[in-house]
Amino acid sequence: MIKYASTRAAFIDSLTELAGSNPKTVLVCADSAKVIWADGFKERFPERFIDVGIAEQNAVACAAGLASCGLIPFVATYAGFITMRACEQVRTFVAYPNLNVKMVGANGGIGAGEREGVTHQFFEDLGILRAIPGITIVVPADASQVGKAVKAVANIPGPAYVRIGSGRDPVALDADLPFELGKTRVLKAFGDDVAIFTNGHAIPRALAGAEELSKAGIKATVVEVHTLKPLETEAIAEILAKTGAAVTVEDHSIIGGLGSAIAEVIAEQVPVPLARIGLRDRFPESGPAEQLMDAYGLSVGDITAACRQVLARKEGRHG
Amino acid sequence: MMSGHNVSYLEHMARQIRRDIITMIYEAGDGHPGPSLSCADLVTALYFAVMEVDPANPHWPRRDRLILSKGHACPAVYAALARKGYFDPAELPRLRTLGGMLQGHPDMLKTPGIDFTSGSLGNGISIGLGIALAARINGLEYYTYVITGDGELQEGIIWEAAMAAKHYQVGNLIVFVDYNGIQSGGRIAEISGLEPVIPKFEAFGWHCQEIDGHNFTEILSAVANAKATPAIPSVIVAHTVKGKGISFIENNNAWHKRVPDKAEWEQALQELGAEP
Repeated sequence: MIKYASTRAAFIDSLTELAGSNPKTVLVCADSAKVIWADGFKERFPERFIDVGIAEQNAVACAAGLASCGLIPFVATYAGFITMRACEQVRTFVAYPNLNVKMVGANGGIGAGEREGVTHQFFEDLGILRAIPGITIVVPADASQVGKAVKAVANIPGPAYVRIGSGRDPVALDADLPFELGKTRVLKAFGDDVAIFTNGHAIPRALAGAEELSKAGIKATVVEVHTLKPLETEAIAEILAKTGAAVTVEDHSIIGGLGSAIAEVIAEQVPVPLARIGLRDRFPESGPAEQLMDAYGLSVGDITAACRQVLARKEGRHG
Repeated sequence: MMSGHNVSYLEHMARQIRRDIITMIYEAGDGHPGPSLSCADLVTALYFAVMEVDPANPHWPRRDRLILSKGHACPAVYAALARKGYFDPAELPRLRTLGGMLQGHPDMLKTPGIDFTSGSLGNGISIGLGIALAARINGLEYYTYVITGDGELQEGIIWEAAMAAKHYQVGNLIVFVDYNGIQSGGRIAEISGLEPVIPKFEAFGWHCQEIDGHNFTEILSAVANAKATPAIPSVIVAHTVKGKGISFIENNNAWHKRVPDKAEWEQALQELGAEP
């Protein structure tokens, strides 16, 4: 049975706590207060709640102005409206001046956008932001990790992006697990046949795939890469060297996100066979989250097949 | 502060800044003369009669701020900052050169006195809104000035910001529109006309004034009027001449971005009251 907890609630709870202890904390919305469940924040800190209405470019540029005066604005709305509608404001007025603006993008991934359809399913956000210098990019595993990740990015100066989900997000990890910004971690180590790199709400699928492979005698190591930037390349290269084969599993396009990030480490440092699980350069459609991810290449079967394929290539067999 | 200054002092300073503009573009071999000369008087009035700033402490939290939304006119601001004492005027000819502090468009991390990075058009009022709101949250009293071009009023974000600035009643936000009527590609009226400008801002709930953007008495009194209406944002539509002050550049859009040759530079300096 999958358990669910809201990453949106986790974000706003964490932010409210931060606002209580740091008077510089500000929330900037673009008619997104309802999306991120911000009523409580608004009641407690009305003077530090700014809603510019449905105007994301204005929200990001305004947040940049706030940050230039020593405040710590969190801009929170749908992932694509920050990273696409306001992309240039993020790049030129947040990242370039290295301002302390934190961005929180909801509906990250097709499973988070689910029944809303393509306009509200965002599977390009990480690729877009990864191309911009200087932004810390975090894809927390689940609600509990979001709460901790929000505090972690608040503690570092400079721009950061935290990806959150739909509000009905699978619980992936033990709630007691800490969150250490910038660090990869092994979630499950059956063995060194293949490394499965994963993050966000794709983690339960990656773990299920590894479990299934283990029963068939294939020993995988599941590695969580929640911080896409800065990427912990040394640790990743070490794991690649040990396993000699890799699969990436993410709810994002295979172009630009975790799959690309790992491919870059592989190509430059440890050339090993790689298969990328994610949305394969096409538009999805509306549907319940779990069905949608199964239908668009993120099923447990897709993951195990990809692992078998890279193993075959590693062993010189045709995959 | 206006006291202690007079119009002839500002006119004298504006001529110096115009000479700096044309000289830095001539020596650097790159830059936008027309747009810089157009707003030179607005910039001069702000730095030498209006804004409370401290060149020795460019990050002073209580200072007034200027965002040059039309960032390509930065030679005007660079000259003003240098003459105000933020940095040595000897830096000016290093405009747009590798390793220099004066980027092709303003960079708040590289140039002392630049309050905000700019260059991509349309964003200055939004950023100004954030800075103006920050005064309220931080419990500080300062004014946020924005100079936008006229052409950039075509950008949608301008009107997003205009709507929100009224909603948030940021009376400490004062926007100048440098209205010379010519954008990069030609006459605004022929490309995608802006008129009526004042009724647009009025409809958005702003305090509106219209002035001659080269007349210091009008500039200073418009700022005083704007400050006297503390509950709403103010726009001052400043009618200007693109290339103002140099005869062969005035209203000649070939000079939107062009470098003078030696003879042109010498003539410009003579017109601006100095020997090369």
